[in-house]
Amino acid sequence: MAALGRAALLLAFGLFAYALIAGSYAAWRKRRRLALSAQNALIAAFPATLVASAILLVALGRHDFTFAYVAEHTSRNLPLGYTLSAFWGGQEGSLLLWLVILTGYAALAVWLNRRQRELIAWTVPVFGLIAVFFSFMLCFVSSPFHQQVAPADGKGMVPSLQNPYMLAHPPMLYLGYVGLSVPFAFAMGALLSGRTDERWIVATRRWTLAAWTFLGVGQLLGAHWAYTEIGWGGYYAWDPVENAALMPWLAATAFLHSVMIQEKRGMLKVWNMVLVALAFNLSVFGTFLTRSGVINSVHSFSQSPIGAWILGFLIFTVAFSVVLIRWRLPLLRTKTRLESLVSREATFVYNNLLLVALALTILWGVLWPVLSQAVGQTRSLSKPYYDFFLHTFGLPLILLMGIGPLVAWRKASVRSLGKTFLIPFGVAVVTGGVLLGLGFDSSWAGLLAYTFSAFVVASIVLEFVRGRAAAGGIRRLVSRNRRRYGGYIVHAAVVLLAIGIAGSSAYQTIRENTQLRPGQSMEIAGYTATYRTIADVKGADYTGFRSVLTVTGHGEGFTVDPGTNYYGPVVGSSTEASIYHDPRTLGDFFATASCVTTASGACRADGAIDLTLLVKPLINLIWVGGFVFVFGALVAMWPDAVEQRRLAARYAAGAAPAGI
Amino acid sequence: MGASPARLVIALSVAAALAIFVVYTALAGAGVAQLTPSTVSAAKGSVILVGQVVGPIHVSGDTRRFAVKDIRSANTDRVYVDYRGSVPDLFKRGAEISVGGRMRHGSFAATPGSLVTKCPDHYAPAKSSSQNA
Amino acid sequence: MAWGLALAAAFAVTAVFFVARPFLREPAPASDRLDELAPAVRQQVALAEERDRALDALKELEFDHRTGKVSDDDYRAQVGPLRRRAAEALRALEAREQGPHDSVPASEEPARS
Repeated sequence: MAALGRAALLLAFGLFAYALIAGSYAAWRKRRRLALSAQNALIAAFPATLVASAILLVALGRHDFTFAYVAEHTSRNLPLGYTLSAFWGGQEGSLLLWLVILTGYAALAVWLNRRQRELIAWTVPVFGLIAVFFSFMLCFVSSPFHQQVAPADGKGMVPSLQNPYMLAHPPMLYLGYVGLSVPFAFAMGALLSGRTDERWIVATRRWTLAAWTFLGVGQLLGAHWAYTEIGWGGYYAWDPVENAALMPWLAATAFLHSVMIQEKRGMLKVWNMVLVALAFNLSVFGTFLTRSGVINSVHSFSQSPIGAWILGFLIFTVAFSVVLIRWRLPLLRTKTRLESLVSREATFVYNNLLLVALALTILWGVLWPVLSQAVGQTRSLSKPYYDFFLHTFGLPLILLMGIGPLVAWRKASVRSLGKTFLIPFGVAVVTGGVLLGLGFDSSWAGLLAYTFSAFVVASIVLEFVRGRAAAGGIRRLVSRNRRRYGGYIVHAAVVLLAIGIAGSSAYQTIRENTQLRPGQSMEIAGYTATYRTIADVKGADYTGFRSVLTVTGHGEGFTVDPGTNYYGPVVGSSTEASIYHDPRTLGDFFATASCVTTASGACRADGAIDLTLLVKPLINLIWVGGFVFVFGALVAMWPDAVEQRRLAARYAAGAAPAGI
Repeated sequence: MGASPARLVIALSVAAALAIFVVYTALAGAGVAQLTPSTVSAAKGSVILVGQVVGPIHVSGDTRRFAVKDIRSANTDRVYVDYRGSVPDLFKRGAEISVGGRMRHGSFAATPGSLVTKCPDHYAPAKSSSQNA
Repeated sequence: MAWGLALAAAFAVTAVFFVARPFLREPAPASDRLDELAPAVRQQVALAEERDRALDALKELEFDHRTGKVSDDDYRAQVGPLRRRAAEALRALEAREQGPHDSVPASEEPARS
């Protein structure tokens, strides 16, 4: 079976190499049949990678420990769901997941656009190039199909991975990361063929939106996982591996906006190429970060040889992007200039600058330990650095989300601005004033975040109200302007996120490491928590305890039961946080406890616990925002028959790209 | 149409962003030094110690005392860490950790709550368990 | 594992066949030239995009005016040039459709009142 898997991957590698080489030659020499043949190779590679994936899945499901990979990451007593999730739990399997998603996307994108032979002539070899690398890795450097003499049982899966998030978070992230290859391939394909029209943008618009959505959802899932399962009280630690996903997401956000300017005004063609290349290269960098161990992170550590390969590939793709863009620079330049600093184009440009600035400062923070080591003492940057730039660049971004929709394209006169701005501005000022009076100036960043958010909410509401009046109904409004109003819904989601993040970080209260014996109480943010009893718990593969605390305050009474599960000496223990969702503040009362141990390591007989309590206002808005985010993205992505007809008419001469 | 004022403003904005970055880095410092057990003994001030936990972990109350050595190195330097507070789940002998604090009287006095353990390495080539001594 | 190898072989053969299919279907085609949009057609596409942009901008201006984002004065100032641009783009397209044209297509110029 493993032999079949290896053969399938080898076949895929051969097909990709053919797609790359034959496809390039065919596009260069304008050979129709060869180009079609290369296209077929790219499409045929998908079933090959599917077969390889199916073999690994079956091996996992059957606990086939002759597969070294299966033995390394699972064990017999592991529930089926988690056993299958081990597919992406290890290095080799996760590479295979990357490849199968890449081939699936490439096959679909090329097949949907198969009639636009000019559009995809060079896109096929670019897809081939990316896929050749990953399939090469899987065939010759890091194969999931290594065989061995089957041990009695596998090594098992770490408990922290045994939760539903592991089933969703990595695949979501990969669907996002890999999805950024699609606009990149089409963009580079357009550059290679010397075309300067918008067809590549039309063809990839929904792909980019979908990839961006998956990447965002994947990150939110990761944050929720860290918060509820890992239990350190937070959801984002600015760890390099977390930043690895945030950076391409920021670049993709910038790209989604500036592409709109190119469609409307024909401007910023060079900048869009730079952005799409940046987003793709950051996603490759992201996979490098998580696998190479070069950067000190909680997630990755070993100096795996694969890091060097990915770095080599990354250097190649960066050089490839730079050379291509530089070569086609004359073709891309337009005479259109930004007319007015007070226009929607201008706000999009500011938005881009801020997003890219934030992405670059995060990149610097991630690379600093490596850079500083090269010139002397290894140093690392942490939360204060990232928080400063998140505030500096992020707060104006929130404001821009409210300003952008209110400003007209091309040129807005200051007078008309004054009228449209009046209500949102008023709402913001009132909100700011009220919050100031209520003492929210304990954190100026939080206060600004809330005030700006009020501005944005008011401007979005106004957009819907005014738009509804003009279009004659919300449904008509949205169905005729899906992208715009879908975008507004996404903005609303981002505002929810901003409010949730501000509340749960700027206005949180933390009481760490208080020792309590049964009967004792402690206070936090107006709540009183009394430690009642300690109870033993027992599960299928763990023992542990739960400490029961009753909490009163703010007119409420509830119970939390933080504790620890112990899985034996090999695996260790895991913190089981107890979270109470407070409907009053839409926030959380978060508790973790460990028992105070004697010198021998056992819990003290008097039941003393080491308790950490956090009160995090408004944190649930983050998760709610996630749902609104997906809804808004769906609205923006939804197929539009009218638009499709228009595009078909526009490109009738050369056939329309499949605007999917 | 002459030179667009927009270009100037954009250039200025980029310069402003860079200036903010430079000023911040100059004022806030270039981050915290990351040291290993073999290099930390001479360190002054607040640093981050990165290493692997070795030997027995002595627990008394909520304080732990344990030794740390260089990761993946034959270097025999050991630094003792005094850590107060709860530790992450994965903390145990053989775990690779990073912890903030400062050297005090020959031992590393850790800042409570700053201990971070690495997640088990899923992406490493298969290791034999004897490495986690 | 003979069946595994047989399956792999069958798979490989199918793939190779699929890849070779364009050559097998047309061993001696009339033209093997990859369809490429002639420069004339490319210009037409560019003009069509230009036309759509102009029409789109007009539509948005109307909508923004109706929702009150653009004042009456601003609307009056902008609608004229936009309509002219749209008309130019339509004319250029029609002219092209009727026959070869040597003139440079209308480029994106900022609206002037």
